[in-house]
Amino acid sequence: MIPGDDAWVFDTGPLRTFVLSGWLGVLKFLAGERPVFIPDVVQRELRRQAADDHAIGSVLDAEWVHVFTSSDTAYMASFARYAHRLVADGQNEGECGVLAMGATLGCEMVIDDSTPRGIAEEEGLRVTATVPILCDAIRAKQLTLPMVEHVADELLANEYYLPFGPGGFRRHVLEHGLLEYEETI
Amino acid sequence: MAHPDAAALGVRIREARVRADLSQEELASRVGFSGHSVVAKIETGVRKVSALELSDIAAAIGIHMIEFFEEPAPAIVSHRESRTPGATDSTVDARLALLAREVEFVDSLDGGDGLGLERGPQEQSAPTTVKEAESLAATARALLGLDSLEPIPHLVEVVGRVGLIAFSADVGKDLADAGTVLLRSGAVAFVNSHSNVGRRRLALAHELGHYLCADDYVIDWRVDLYEPKTAPIEALLDRFARALLLPADALEEAWASRLEEHGPRRAAAWVAHHYRVDMATLARRLRETGLADHQTAGIVRSHRTTRSDIVELDLYVPAEEMAGTTVPRSYEKAVLLLLEHERISRERALDLLQGTLGDDDLPAPRTRRDGEIWKYVY
Repeated sequence: MIPGDDAWVFDTGPLRTFVLSGWLGVLKFLAGERPVFIPDVVQRELRRQAADDHAIGSVLDAEWVHVFTSSDTAYMASFARYAHRLVADGQNEGECGVLAMGATLGCEMVIDDSTPRGIAEEEGLRVTATVPILCDAIRAKQLTLPMVEHVADELLANEYYLPFGPGGFRRHVLEHGLLEYEETI
Repeated sequence: MAHPDAAALGVRIREARVRADLSQEELASRVGFSGHSVVAKIETGVRKVSALELSDIAAAIGIHMIEFFEEPAPAIVSHRESRTPGATDSTVDARLALLAREVEFVDSLDGGDGLGLERGPQEQSAPTTVKEAESLAATARALLGLDSLEPIPHLVEVVGRVGLIAFSADVGKDLADAGTVLLRSGAVAFVNSHSNVGRRRLALAHELGHYLCADDYVIDWRVDLYEPKTAPIEALLDRFARALLLPADALEEAWASRLEEHGPRRAAAWVAHHYRVDMATLARRLRETGLADHQTAGIVRSHRTTRSDIVELDLYVPAEEMAGTTVPRSYEKAVLLLLEHERISRERALDLLQGTLGDDDLPAPRTRRDGEIWKYVY
């Protein structure tokens, strides 16, 4: 199955967040008809993490999460180009697979790390992150703000380096009208 | 470079494996393939590789995956083509290839103004006589923005002014002293830091000579030991290197006054310290400039600067240049700037810096602006 531009391609970090929060089903609901993919390098990273945390294994068993492997040279050249900016000692290969899929197949990427996300933006590729998807989940009434805000605050502080303390997510989405008030209760 | 098909990619994998002196069996074992026949099929294009496998192959060979898709600097290509088919890379060959790739990569991302590769000078004629070697040294000093007398305490930074980016690492006593490769713009030099500091500096000065003469790919095995009869150009570039570090006029002035005041040993200690050369280089330079007879040169050559020399002459002993693994400051700055602007990952920054910094030495990730994440929320 070759992903098209309607596909969602996940990096390891965002998938890990959904799995460990127990929200894999929510992700499936939000994806709806959209195909969800991970490149084989992300699959390998998840497998390695599953050895230490069995919960991670559930995403590897989810039949709606498709694994993309390619020997297409344009894809591999793109992967290599991103690896030259990101990879050392085998780290960050997942992002390179995600970026290469975004660049060669036009998929929308889900990346939390700011450097690969910045590279995606620099190249005009379609990219989003976990927190916006959590907002969508609240709007779709799949999750509530109280369920999400602790995880979102953690992400904002540790992944995105936004200067918010606890409660920052709630305050920001309300102040900026990113969620309607009734969606937050 | 057009994307290669499976057969062309297979050839590149085989060439990289051979250069790294790995058998098909060893590569298969490192990557986790079932046997050497898998590697054989990949190398002949019978079996395609996935991106994941190719990434593992590159790691097993010890190169960047990009090597399979982008040509290295033309000087490296022509050097490889000039060798016997199936030749393996020496340690210094491999270092030069890696550093050339890294420097061009950093330069390509930082917009080309951080490293100063474009400041490469006009090609000079290779010296054919001692006089021309001395003259080339004077020209080099002018190109480097130095006057005719001043010492060069920071040679790595000074050669960077003309686009020669110099790295060092200890690769052992039985390997080459140094090497240089021309890039599309500027050049990279590598110095084996196993030698003492005086010899390291002399080696880098010698590499500057090669660079000024636009020698595209050079590895020097015995800097300062080249014989005029067997290696005339190299011997003249040794002379150039000594003249660059110890200009005749400066030496004459310093030596005469110090010799009269302190005698040959202390005079040698002062001059060697001031101009950052070893005693062998100083002794040779004194002889070739006619400032010392054979006996005095012998005294200088055998003298080792003592603690009492340092105290009596009131010398300040600085950090040694090119001690162990070093990268030039301009390169270090360029890499840190790329990290600060999030153009490369932290892991890659540490990798580019050749392990000279640890994660704690890198700047903390910057605090974000709100818009950087909320713009995705509609």
